[in-house]
Amino acid sequence: MNDGLRLGDRVFSSRLILGTGKFSGMSAMLGAVRASGTQLVTVALRRFHPGRPQDDLLGPLAALEDVTLVPNTSGAMDATEAVKAAVLGRELSNSPFVKLEIHPNPHHLLPDPIETYQAARILVKEGFFVLPYISADPVLAKRLEDVGCAAVMPLGAAIGTGQGLTTLSMLRLIIRDSTVPVIVDAGLRSPSEAAHTMELGGSAVLVNSAIAAAEDPELMARAFAAAVRAGRDAFNAGLMPRSETAVPTSPLTAFLAGGAK
Amino acid sequence: MNLIVNGDSHNHEGQGAIEELLREYQAQPLRTAVMVNGEVVPRKAWDAIRLREGDQVELLTIAAGG
Repeated sequence: MNDGLRLGDRVFSSRLILGTGKFSGMSAMLGAVRASGTQLVTVALRRFHPGRPQDDLLGPLAALEDVTLVPNTSGAMDATEAVKAAVLGRELSNSPFVKLEIHPNPHHLLPDPIETYQAARILVKEGFFVLPYISADPVLAKRLEDVGCAAVMPLGAAIGTGQGLTTLSMLRLIIRDSTVPVIVDAGLRSPSEAAHTMELGGSAVLVNSAIAAAEDPELMARAFAAAVRAGRDAFNAGLMPRSETAVPTSPLTAFLAGGAK
Repeated sequence: MNLIVNGDSHNHEGQGAIEELLREYQAQPLRTAVMVNGEVVPRKAWDAIRLREGDQVELLTIAAGG
C-alpha cells in the first residue's frame, strides 16, 4: 500500500481515527464512521447493564467492513488499572491495539505521564500495540517510543475543548524527532486544524467531539476525511519555502510604461 | 449465594459458574468481560473458577468512547 499508516504490524490507508463517544445515538455514530472512511475507531469499557442493550457497540461495529477497534483505558486512575482495562478490552474486541489513557483529574483530563509510561512498558511486553495519549511533551514521546509504543498520541488541547492546536510548537518537535507515527489526539475542532496537523507531517489525527458534537456529524466526518487527505497530500507534495520578500510569479518586463514605444 | 455484581447485591441461584451468572444477567458471553475481586478472569479461564459467597464481580462490555 502506498503511503499507508503503519501501526504495529498493520497498515491503514485512512489517516483519520474516530472516537465513538458523545454521539446522539447509534445511527449518528455509525453514519459518521462510514462517512469518515476510517479504519480505526476507539471504544470504551462500561459495566454491562441488561436494561441498556444500546450500550453494546460490538455487534454494530463488527458489522462494518474494514474497521478495527481500539479499546481505550478511560476511567483508569493509574497504571495498574490501565493494564487491567487493556486486558479486558482485548478480551472483548480481539484487537491488538489499546489507546492508553490515564487522566485522573476530571477537571482537565490531562494524562498522567508517569503512570502512562509505566503502563506502556507493561502493555508492550504483553504484546499490545500501545497508542498512548500524552501531553505534547517531546521528551515523554521519545521515552514512549523507546519502550516500544506503536505510536504516540500527543494532544492538541484538552479533551472535548475544541481549542485546536494549542500545543503547536511542541507538536512540531515531536513530529520532527519521532520515528513512530504521531497521532494528534484531542482538542481539534475544525477540519482545517486536521489539515494543518497533516501538513506538518503528523501521521494521523484522532477526532471525536468535533464530529459527534457537530450539527451534522456525518457531513463533518466527511469534511475531516477530506481535510486529512488534503493535508497529507500537501505534506507529501512538499510545501514551498518561505521568503521574507516578494517573489514575482509573472514577468516584470516594463512594456506598459516607458519601455514600450 | 450472594454476590456483588457491578456494585449491586445479586442473589445467584447456580453453582457459581461464570456462564451461569451471565445467563442470569442475559449477558452474551462473547460480548462480556469479567473481573472477580479486582482481577481479570480471561474467557478461557471461566470454566476453571467458581464464584464464592461475597465475591465482587464486574461484568463489562464495549461501549462508546473517544
